[in-house]
Amino acid sequence: MRVPVFRTFTRSPFDGLLKHAAKVKECVTVLQEALEVYSKERYGEFKGLADKVSKLEEEADWIKGNIRNHLPRGIWMPVDKADFLMALKEQDAILDFAEDAVVWLSFRQTPIPEELRERFLDHLSKVVETVIILEQVMENVKSLVTSPRRGDRERCKERLKEVHHKEWEADQVERRLALDLFNNELDPISLFHLLKVVDLIGDIANHAENVGDRVRAMMAR
Amino acid sequence: MEFGTLFFIATALVGLYMAWNIGANDVANSMASAVGARAITIRQAVVIAGILNLAGAALVGSHVTHTVTRGIVSPEAIASSRMVILGAFSTLLAASGWVFLATWKGFPVSTTHSIIGALIGFGLIAGNASAIRWGKLGEVVASWITSPVLSGVLAYLLFKAIEKLFLRSGRENLRRLSPYFVGATFLIVGLSLFLKTSLGDSLGIGTSGKIILSLLLAVLAGGGGWVWVSLYLRREEGRGVEDVFRNLQIMTSCYVAFAHGANDVANAAGPMATVHSVIANGGIAEKVEVPFWLLAFGGGGIALGILTWGYRVIKTVGSKITNLTNTRGFAIDFSTATVVLLSSKLGLPVSTTHACVGAVVGVGLARGLEAVDFRVVKRIIVSWMVTIPVAALLAMGFYGLLARFML
Repeated sequence: MRVPVFRTFTRSPFDGLLKHAAKVKECVTVLQEALEVYSKERYGEFKGLADKVSKLEEEADWIKGNIRNHLPRGIWMPVDKADFLMALKEQDAILDFAEDAVVWLSFRQTPIPEELRERFLDHLSKVVETVIILEQVMENVKSLVTSPRRGDRERCKERLKEVHHKEWEADQVERRLALDLFNNELDPISLFHLLKVVDLIGDIANHAENVGDRVRAMMAR
Repeated sequence: MEFGTLFFIATALVGLYMAWNIGANDVANSMASAVGARAITIRQAVVIAGILNLAGAALVGSHVTHTVTRGIVSPEAIASSRMVILGAFSTLLAASGWVFLATWKGFPVSTTHSIIGALIGFGLIAGNASAIRWGKLGEVVASWITSPVLSGVLAYLLFKAIEKLFLRSGRENLRRLSPYFVGATFLIVGLSLFLKTSLGDSLGIGTSGKIILSLLLAVLAGGGGWVWVSLYLRREEGRGVEDVFRNLQIMTSCYVAFAHGANDVANAAGPMATVHSVIANGGIAEKVEVPFWLLAFGGGGIALGILTWGYRVIKTVGSKITNLTNTRGFAIDFSTATVVLLSSKLGLPVSTTHACVGAVVGVGLARGLEAVDFRVVKRIIVSWMVTIPVAALLAMGFYGLLARFML
């Protein structure tokens, strides 16, 4: 067979990006479950969920590597390749922080003070929402960069604004949470442990926001 | 058996192989986009390609065949008619041998480049540098660069237009504007069918009459397209731009197949026509018509290749390029076919495949595709740099060997 036309077509890197986003979403929802059982001090269950987070991180890593390996020089994309790879990198950072969060939780069995439990979970659910909206954006990114239908771009921009807004909300919750942790007369080790976990969870939203910014750059024409 | 007849049969056999190979491999380049975009099934692709390649070859194939027969090497500059016959045979043998090797190794060569390279080799060894019509050869080589570029530019503009007129604005424009696409296709096909062809001459009308006839055909087809799109949009409420273009792609697939036959049949039929003209005229004639049945034979060979092997190649390729949507496929097919058919009318042997690659790149640059592998362009350039000298050397070798025993 000598079919040059066939060789001009190559696997769409955007399919990989979406697949990666789906893994990220799955991973943070598992993190959510993990934090919930941790807060209820069901540490046995927590262990299983923590392992699941690590496994998902690994799978997503493999997808990321695969996308990068299939983008040598000479492959032309409708968007700046640097923007695309940066979006992928930031999306992957979400996984790293999700995994770090479960790892830090697993270091020590620190009981979360009763009155802060709700706030703890609320913070994470705000963070998870940013990732869920982001994944919805990724589902449309293919048609957005090639030939957006009328209204597609506007809808996408709205979603990205939402990502920003949720990240801001998560920040607000995080600050109050940190303040309350300091005022709760916790022993220093527990305080340090929980603060670190809150910090890591907050980073997830920051990186989701960064992915959104890169998608915004890709959309610009 | 007589020398001429013997070599005519031998040339016909090699020509049949060449035509078969063109059908088996090159058809995938032109039909794969339609199959990949799910506009037609593989079975439909095979039938469309088979029938329309044959039609294109038989009806419009004479111009390029004429170029291959007399345009590159001038037969008058060759000393004897026996040399011309041996030359035609060795040219075809060299070109098909190289194409066979390249196909086996998956190297993206063009049958067109092979045959022209072989002709150069034969011309140089049998005559001398003056036997080659350098002016025409220059035109041909220039067309190898301009045809993919033109097809790319056309595909770029066409896709941008489709995007602006249809994709962004929704379906309102479809009914109003898509008939123009249908009309334009039929105008070009009509003009190529009637102008300077035996079919056109048999109608017994002048050039202006032929142009009017083509315009009439275009208006009729455009009107038909208007009625069809209107009915389709009314019947199928939820259908959008891509669905209409899926159906338009059936038309452009036919267009590509027709253009492919018109241009590529020369690669197989050209040397056969050379041998035939020497036998028929009892020597080297000033001017010869390419017989219809010879073109039909070449077209039949291409159709045979499609039927026996081409479907496999279309299947493999079509299943790998499923990312393609109908609007993109339309832009690619329309540009490829237009450039190739116009080249055929100008008697320029171009590579359909390369025009198609040019169109894919054009749509890619219009941001129509999610990713395009540009490395193929380099491979193609390398392969034609290699093909010309290799085919020339092979033809020289075959001719030298045969001449030693036969002359």
